[in-house]
Amino acid sequence: MDWNQEKIKSVLPHREPFLFIDEILEIEGTQKIVAVKKIKDSEDYFKGHFPGNPIMPGVLIIEAMAQASVILFSLDRPHIAAKQPDYYLGKVKAEFLAPAYPGDQLIIESNKVKFLDSAAITDTVAKVNDRIVAKANLVFSIQQK
Amino acid sequence: MMNNIENEIRTMVSIILEVPVEKLTPDVDFFKDLNVDSLKAIEIVAAFEKKYRIIVPEEDIPKIRNLGQLIEYTKNVTG
Repeated sequence: MDWNQEKIKSVLPHREPFLFIDEILEIEGTQKIVAVKKIKDSEDYFKGHFPGNPIMPGVLIIEAMAQASVILFSLDRPHIAAKQPDYYLGKVKAEFLAPAYPGDQLIIESNKVKFLDSAAITDTVAKVNDRIVAKANLVFSIQQK
Repeated sequence: MMNNIENEIRTMVSIILEVPVEKLTPDVDFFKDLNVDSLKAIEIVAAFEKKYRIIVPEEDIPKIRNLGQLIEYTKNVTG
């Protein structure tokens, strides 16, 4: 099955306006995933960040990286993901290098560092037109219900 | 007296757990005494794997409960 919106939503519990993955471009086994977030003019947060000068908040770029990482985790641990656990972002080490604007396509690459049933670490990069806008190392926990 | 590998591991764990090295005695329990949770545990494992270029099987992780056991584990897997 292709990674259409329906399949993305079968893994991620997030929904609009807090679903930040629109497409999956590439998957390399369980080591790497490349996903896309299309930054629309109509995103609600642009009303306040900032009036007349819309810039995607860095924390939401991190959120998009985390959502891509959850999809990668689901490829590595389908038996865990199938139980629809809660995913909690626990630690972020990030660098923000350039702004992302309405109309940009955020290309998010997430690479597996270490996955366990109860926790995961990924190294992620977000780019716009090959320009790196952010890098982050994410540590998150997986809590089965 | 600790040798180099023991000091390396002790320092690495101290930095990740944000615990002074003096408190990291060989038998202090990571989980009970230092409140290590799954996030801290995976950070230690990932740092350990990177440093010694090994893969720690998931089933081995719960068996490593203190610094002494981690040092012993390292000696076994690195020869």
